Amino acid sequence: MSTYVYGIAHRSHPRPDTELAGVGDPPRPVRTLAEGELIALVSDAPEDLRPKRRDLLAHQRVLTHAAAGGPVLPMRFGGVSPDDASVKSVLADRAEHFEERLTALHDKVEYNVKASHDEDVVLHQVLADNAELRALTEANRAAGGGTYEQKIQLGERIVAAVQQRETRDAELVHDTLMGIAAAVSRGPASTGWLVSVSCLVARADTARFLAAVDRLTKENPQLEVRLSDPLPPYSFVE
Amino acid sequence: MTVVPAQQGRGGGGTSGLYDVLELVLDRGLVIDAFVRVSLVGIEILKIDIRVVVASVDTYLRFAEACNRLDLEAGPNRSPGLPEIVGDMTESGARGKTKGALSGAAQTVSDAFQQARDEGGSRSEAKPRTRRTASNRRKEEQE
Repeated sequence: MSTYVYGIAHRSHPRPDTELAGVGDPPRPVRTLAEGELIALVSDAPEDLRPKRRDLLAHQRVLTHAAAGGPVLPMRFGGVSPDDASVKSVLADRAEHFEERLTALHDKVEYNVKASHDEDVVLHQVLADNAELRALTEANRAAGGGTYEQKIQLGERIVAAVQQRETRDAELVHDTLMGIAAAVSRGPASTGWLVSVSCLVARADTARFLAAVDRLTKENPQLEVRLSDPLPPYSFVE
Repeated sequence: MTVVPAQQGRGGGGTSGLYDVLELVLDRGLVIDAFVRVSLVGIEILKIDIRVVVASVDTYLRFAEACNRLDLEAGPNRSPGLPEIVGDMTESGARGKTKGALSGAAQTVSDAFQQARDEGGSRSEAKPRTRRTASNRRKEEQE
């Protein structure tokens, strides 16, 4: 029977009062394997495990619950060990590294911040800042929208200006958060956001961090900011 | 501690759904060489880089029209120049200058909208407005 691994914690980590539901259908119960000063949170691995919504959420949920009781090193989704004994031998082999990380991450959580642009506000800003673009827009409008060529010419320059602002605002968000977080890790560029930053935040600094995110949104009306719940420190385990 | 059903969010006002943490659960976190990783076929498709799509003629046209629409909504007889709007907002004194300009413009936009609607929408902005609605809907669907 192969073993699904959720995360690694100190041996002293409080065990949950109630059994946590893990991956699989029906959900496999989460149990712990102890080795030296460490434990691994594991469950039996379902035969046909796939990255389904249900199982991704189960992985995330187990780790969120565990992290509430103390530092946990979250595994990336989908790590399956051949058996329990192999998990224990990994704990033994890399004990020093895991313990160092657990100490470093003590009393810290990860927040993921994603920012995107409110298109209308950004366009207003672009036109407000650039008299030439404003004149061009006016001219096109006066000509009933302008010709196909004129529209493309204008659009190309607007897009360039918007992209410039995306880059600038990505730096702004990154730099602002870097000033408060214990560590930051930039996520990949992708659809749906202009920047994704994961921040490692000491629990004691949480209020200050949330206030900074709030201020960022208020002072920059072009930004739409999405803030995650406190997460296990996925981006800071290595 | 208790078991929380998968579909139930945790309290505390956070907004993270699966979509917002997906990249972390799938791309971050500890990887141990000795463990086999589940195949992620079918998941990678979510990670399309938008920047490839942005530089297209369609995008240029869309942005050109979006800008035309902004000015139309500010009113045909009104100069789109920002100083006037900034002046209005500074007088009201509620917020800082830059933000004032923006909220002022937004207010003007919604006023113009209402006006256009009252007039029966017979003017030329009818079309761009449809586009705007469609684009907003698209945005909502993505979320």
